[in-house]
Amino acid sequence: MPRDAEPSLSERTFVTKALNEGLRVDNRKFDQCRPVSLTFGDEFGVVDVSFGKTRVLARTSAEVTVPYADRPFDGVFTITSELSPMVAPSIEPNRPTETEVLLSRLLEKTVRRSGALDTESLCLVAGQKCWSVRVDLHVLNHDGNILDAACLAVIASLRHFKRPETTLDGEVLTVYTPAEREPVPLSWLHSPFCVTFSFYGEEGDIVLMDPTWLEEQLRVSSCTFSLNRHGEICQVSKLGGSAVDAPLFIQCAQTALSKSKEYTDLLERQLADDAKSRDKGGLMAELTAENDR
Amino acid sequence: MASQPMFVLPGDRIDPSLIPSHPKKALRLGPGLQHAPPNDIIPTLAGRLVTDHQKNAIRIETATGRYVPRVGELVIGTVQRSAAESFFVTLSDYTAPALLPHLSFESATKKTRPQLAPGSLVYARVTMANKHMDAELECVHPSTGKSEGLGPLTGGMVYDISLGFARRLMMSKGGIVVLDEMESVGLQFETATGRNGKFWVNSENTKTVIAVGRAITESDTQSLGAEEQRKLVRKRLKEMS
Repeated sequence: MPRDAEPSLSERTFVTKALNEGLRVDNRKFDQCRPVSLTFGDEFGVVDVSFGKTRVLARTSAEVTVPYADRPFDGVFTITSELSPMVAPSIEPNRPTETEVLLSRLLEKTVRRSGALDTESLCLVAGQKCWSVRVDLHVLNHDGNILDAACLAVIASLRHFKRPETTLDGEVLTVYTPAEREPVPLSWLHSPFCVTFSFYGEEGDIVLMDPTWLEEQLRVSSCTFSLNRHGEICQVSKLGGSAVDAPLFIQCAQTALSKSKEYTDLLERQLADDAKSRDKGGLMAELTAENDR
Repeated sequence: MASQPMFVLPGDRIDPSLIPSHPKKALRLGPGLQHAPPNDIIPTLAGRLVTDHQKNAIRIETATGRYVPRVGELVIGTVQRSAAESFFVTLSDYTAPALLPHLSFESATKKTRPQLAPGSLVYARVTMANKHMDAELECVHPSTGKSEGLGPLTGGMVYDISLGFARRLMMSKGGIVVLDEMESVGLQFETATGRNGKFWVNSENTKTVIAVGRAITESDTQSLGAEEQRKLVRKRLKEMS
């Protein structure tokens, strides 16, 4: 049975000592995040997000299914998150660890329950046919702060995804291939992002953003805000750990808002770049057989 | 000695002129090479082919991989727990622990055993490494009874580095000048390198520890040459002040 790697005493004392002196092991400032990279794949809905060494891959797919009997006018929307043994040998497949359960629960609350995706728009024939949109999330490397990275990946993947165009003619439902008709993006309502804060020190008064795995193992408590760029909070979770002062908590919420705006800007910019690189100048330019001479 | 580095991929054909031939000694194959009878030598790893004509040996050096203990190597381990007669020490993550007997410390007797809390670091030498048994360590030279620099490491910070970099750090001609450069500008610190890919550094000043640790890990991950390492050290020093 492989054992989870734990930080040694020296690492514990050193990290704490350095934090009390206002230093972090990788020389970042307390509220400074690692460089975020967000790249899209060739297919629609494939996103690779990395925060420093933390790396998460998300993929969205859609298929036509039968809606749930109690919700005939809604489509199906699921988020499947998976931590594989690739992350660490201590993770066993099909036996979810606490991290994994918390990750999927928080993503559920942030993205699904906040109504980010308009599920009614996924309905094709009431009570008979609907789209089932599924996001598969794979954590490729865990170096702390997977929740923020995972949330960014899921939102980016859903925003990037395009489902096939359909028409309903009488009782005949036609699903067109991308060559026949341009695929359509999902009907999107708002983009919430998770921002996690970690607290250190005896009174929990040192706040770090985007901790590495080592720092994450040594924190006394943490809290996660999920909010969109308008400051509408979807959920706040602070699961155990030591108590945190109320003014500090409010301050964290303010920082979370500015961070959420940053993520929104990043995502919009990358989506625009991606759209530009895919645009070949209209259907005529795409279909022409003429070569440059 | 090989004049220029030669890189091979698994399954590559090795030029016969590169294989050392010694009139008396038998050819010794190091890690990463396999003998395919009757007279072929096939690489099984990707890396640098190193030949030693005096020892009539040939091996492949790679920077990556998992640590496998070998007798006589110096390692930095974390004490997991103390048993009746020995400590259980982790050398690398997710592997079976190595054993460090209580009596293998300098001037340790049955009455005065060293007290090491779980999580403390030790600098030790591998005394037994068997494929099917847990490795054994010691913190004392068996014939002189002196510690010779081995023993518990208190304070400081430990960084993970790649195995190839750890090996180069321990060689005098490994081409790593980071530590010499940092020392030459007057920084005071002490270090220990374990072959298991651990680098320990301690200093009075927290900033020094962070600067040294970052310079080492960055030279490792970006595989910097000597001149780039000097540049990196200058950059780190500027940040410190």
